[in-house]
Amino acid sequence: MKSVAWPSFAVLLFAFSFQSCGNLEKEIDLNLPVYESQYVVECYLEPGQPFGLLLTRSAPYFEPFPTDLLNFVENILVDSADVTITHNGVDYILANEPSLNPFTLKVFNYTNPALVPTDFDNDFSLKITLPNGKVITSTTRLLPVVPIDSVVIEFDAKRDTLARCLTYISDDPAQANFYRRMLHHNSLLDSIPNQDFTTNDDYVDDRTIVFGTSYDFKEGDTIYNTMFHIDRAYFDFWESTFNAINSNGNPFGQPSSIISNMRGDAGAIGIFTGLSYDRVMTVVKK
Amino acid sequence: MIFIRLITLTLLFCAANQIFAQQTKITVSGAVKDDDNGETLIGASVYDATSGNGATTNEYGFYSLTLPMGNDSITLEYSYVGFQPVNRRILPNKNLTLNVRLGTGVQLQEVVVKANAFQESIRSTEMSVEQITTKEVKVIPALLGESDILKVIQLKPGIPSGSEGNTGLYVRGGGGDQNLIVLDEAIVYNANHLFGFFSTFNTDAVKDLKLYKGGFPAQYGGRLSSVIDVRMKDGNNQRFAGTGGIGLISSRLTLEGPIEKDKSSFIVSGRRTYADLITRQVNKANDDNPDYNPIPDYYFYDLNTKVNFDLGENDRLFLSGYFGRDVFSFNGDFFDFNFSWGNKTGTARWNHVFSQKLFHNLTFTYSDYDYNIETKLTGFSFKVGSDVQDANLKSDFYYGLNDNHILRFGASATHHSFGVGRLKAGSDDGEVSFSGGNDFTAYSMGAYIADEMSLGKHWKINTGLRLSGFANNTFYAGIEPRIAALYNVNTALSFKASYARMFQYQHLVSTSGISLPTDIWYPSTKQIKPQRSDQVAIGVEKLLGKQYLLTNEYYVKWLRNQVDFVDGAQLFANDNLENEFAIGKGYGYGMELGIEKQEGNLRGWVGYTLAMVKRGDFMPIDDTKVFAGDGKYFFPRYDRRHDFSLVLMYELTRRITLSGTVIYGSGDRTWLPVGRFVLQDVPGANFQPIVPVYGERNAFRLPYFFRSDLGIVYKFFPKWGESDLTLSVFNLTNRRNAFFLFLEPQYDKGVDPLIDPLAIPTGVAAKQVSLFPIIGSLTWNFKF
Repeated sequence: MKSVAWPSFAVLLFAFSFQSCGNLEKEIDLNLPVYESQYVVECYLEPGQPFGLLLTRSAPYFEPFPTDLLNFVENILVDSADVTITHNGVDYILANEPSLNPFTLKVFNYTNPALVPTDFDNDFSLKITLPNGKVITSTTRLLPVVPIDSVVIEFDAKRDTLARCLTYISDDPAQANFYRRMLHHNSLLDSIPNQDFTTNDDYVDDRTIVFGTSYDFKEGDTIYNTMFHIDRAYFDFWESTFNAINSNGNPFGQPSSIISNMRGDAGAIGIFTGLSYDRVMTVVKK
Repeated sequence: MIFIRLITLTLLFCAANQIFAQQTKITVSGAVKDDDNGETLIGASVYDATSGNGATTNEYGFYSLTLPMGNDSITLEYSYVGFQPVNRRILPNKNLTLNVRLGTGVQLQEVVVKANAFQESIRSTEMSVEQITTKEVKVIPALLGESDILKVIQLKPGIPSGSEGNTGLYVRGGGGDQNLIVLDEAIVYNANHLFGFFSTFNTDAVKDLKLYKGGFPAQYGGRLSSVIDVRMKDGNNQRFAGTGGIGLISSRLTLEGPIEKDKSSFIVSGRRTYADLITRQVNKANDDNPDYNPIPDYYFYDLNTKVNFDLGENDRLFLSGYFGRDVFSFNGDFFDFNFSWGNKTGTARWNHVFSQKLFHNLTFTYSDYDYNIETKLTGFSFKVGSDVQDANLKSDFYYGLNDNHILRFGASATHHSFGVGRLKAGSDDGEVSFSGGNDFTAYSMGAYIADEMSLGKHWKINTGLRLSGFANNTFYAGIEPRIAALYNVNTALSFKASYARMFQYQHLVSTSGISLPTDIWYPSTKQIKPQRSDQVAIGVEKLLGKQYLLTNEYYVKWLRNQVDFVDGAQLFANDNLENEFAIGKGYGYGMELGIEKQEGNLRGWVGYTLAMVKRGDFMPIDDTKVFAGDGKYFFPRYDRRHDFSLVLMYELTRRITLSGTVIYGSGDRTWLPVGRFVLQDVPGANFQPIVPVYGERNAFRLPYFFRSDLGIVYKFFPKWGESDLTLSVFNLTNRRNAFFLFLEPQYDKGVDPLIDPLAIPTGVAAKQVSLFPIIGSLTWNFKF
């Protein structure tokens, strides 16, 4: 081979290599095994708010989706179950009456207009008897609100049109605490949060925890900081749920099962927990 | 216990045999070296055709051969693959020291060399061993032209090779953390650069690599599934020389030479990637462009050094070191992110020949692996890192007791330091601070004795016993019997069998199939018991003609106290890491078939492995956590049923060498969702229309893996030395091998779920992602 041919050949090869770099993703056919549907429960007890519970069923991964939102919701709702929440000897029966909260856009198919009592010392118990006779049970207890101590807006020295937000809370070092932090930008309940994650206080040296943002905000923006004080069961459920979501498509991810606090013989998954939070609205000003 | 008694009896028998040994034997000993550069040759054979006795040089190039005393001269033949054999006539009437140099010289008749090299293998009790030299590695095509000895050894049978992006070594069903990788006897804790796409071993600085898959010699311990022994070159003690290369992603330079000719030498070898030099300039050129997103800096480098001194006839001192690091940094207007990781190893070794029969090696090694992540935001900083350090002292004896017994014995002690998940974060004003992490100090020790014993003409048995111990907040002791037997039918056929028990006291904290720099080692504790394996292997070696060696082995392996991690384990910056462990069992079995040709214009091998591995009975240490599967046995990701590789090297002319590899393997296992549910979530949070429900663990197999590579080496012979252009074409057929699969929700055109919180998918598509298309690379190499 003449040595002059080498560079030409190499250039052609590299050109072909780079040209073929695209299209490293392709659709394939996949046959998943038969999947037996499971019951899914979501019930968040917010002190001073009515009782509401969402009972749905899961579906095989490739099952076709209904064409619109209403059909989609109707398709997954499970009706005709007997749902009771018991607290301090009082049974709150949740009727199978779907309701939509127009502000939060959240749907519940089992509701009771009674208000959830503010009681941090006694358990709430859930019992669901399904149309097929199987039972789902769970227990939870409300946690006190951990207030947001302060929200600090800091403008960047280099670009004074942009600011970040620092949110401070005080952690109780005497116990293990779990938090869910949410931050909304300009609108609250009908928007996707800028930040939404859970954390615990394992690494807190003293009482203060601070949550920060990058320099994303302009003067006049409205920031809604929400700090949920959550229990271990909800922390595990949320972490496992989002771990399952994020592991799909992530070669570094480790898929996991959903860690649920549903018990009973129905093999249900879901969460029954209290909802204690503090929310602060801040308008960005210099 | 039966094994232990058997071994004890054998060793007692061996001692008694020595008492009654007749003074009718002589011993010939010495070292075998490369005539060109003075490098010791490991595994060179010495053979006396008259008595049929032979020996091979040990890992330090030393041999000891016991022969019948006599007054008739005999001829000893010294040979080594790729070198011209040398015959020495001696009069066997007294003990002799005979140091021999072998040269490549004129190519001798290949059948002679072939027969000797393979016959030595057929005569040896060693089985389940793969060895490769850098000479072969440099010819075989490589990803981006980076020759990599660790990648080439994966083309041998029993070491699943090449699946897309999965860079771990899974030897005979063992986990990726069950390989003892040593460089000049110092442990390399993370032998990878760039998520494992390249290894830490610079081919120019390495002499050879030997991998044990089973039948582990008693001097090795600490990992369950393999021992990968990498030896650095000693340095040319004849003349000053250099080698190097300029490649697509890195350049290398190695300088070596005598400090005092024939007595001492040095070698310094460095390698560095340079993509960052280009990306920095690109970033600089776009400094004023507000829409430009800067490219992060990434580079890695290695530095290998070694000196050695002959301190008289019987003593030799070696000092060697390795320092390598990967650096990734990303600096913006508002933050600085710096991530670096790397290994440091050091070895000081003193070889001493007490007598012609007794050789001693005293070694001190130091190993260090660490990673550090540092992030600075305005007013805040965050640092996290982990590290592991070992300081080890060991003493090994090699005693050629007589022509029927070779004894090896020794002991070692190691001090381990582990810094796991050290974290420090907080504000600059000190108002807010977080910190955490765990430090452990541990000690491990080992003592062993092994006897290779010849029983008549056909039988040879190597029995060994290793005692190991590990002290952390508790103490564990392990009794590790090792036995290997050989039945030599004739010079062309032998049957072999082996049994080995191994203990592993350190565990890798990793859940990914990809080697991540943040993978860190964790010691055995009260709750995390040492891992244990028992492996039985049987095999046959057959010379086909005089040029081809056929090897066929069958193995069964049982694994205890296997480590995995609970669902959703928090392995990063976790003060209670131990609570994320789940402990279980495993087993594997398989068959390996290989045919190899080492000499001649056409060289190479073909290998096929049929294997099965399962793990199960996993229970979380923290019983409030979950390990999905209810203890059922499952296939690990690396379960590879079929694995085939073909490697060919053909010296077309003096100037042109062609090489090619073909790899086929069953796809890796993967864990996919089978169901989905809707999560409404709390007010203010996203509605999640698809939350995956994962089915049986690793129940799916990715599509089969296939890759063919081509290499062409064109040599030049300038006056100052030799150079070559090496062309590598990686993935010649441009096949898209699966890196991973994912299931993607599909939405109507114009619907963006990131904007519309109530968007409903129209369906789900299964997609496959690949990493490497056809990639060509050109490397210029030189030596003088």
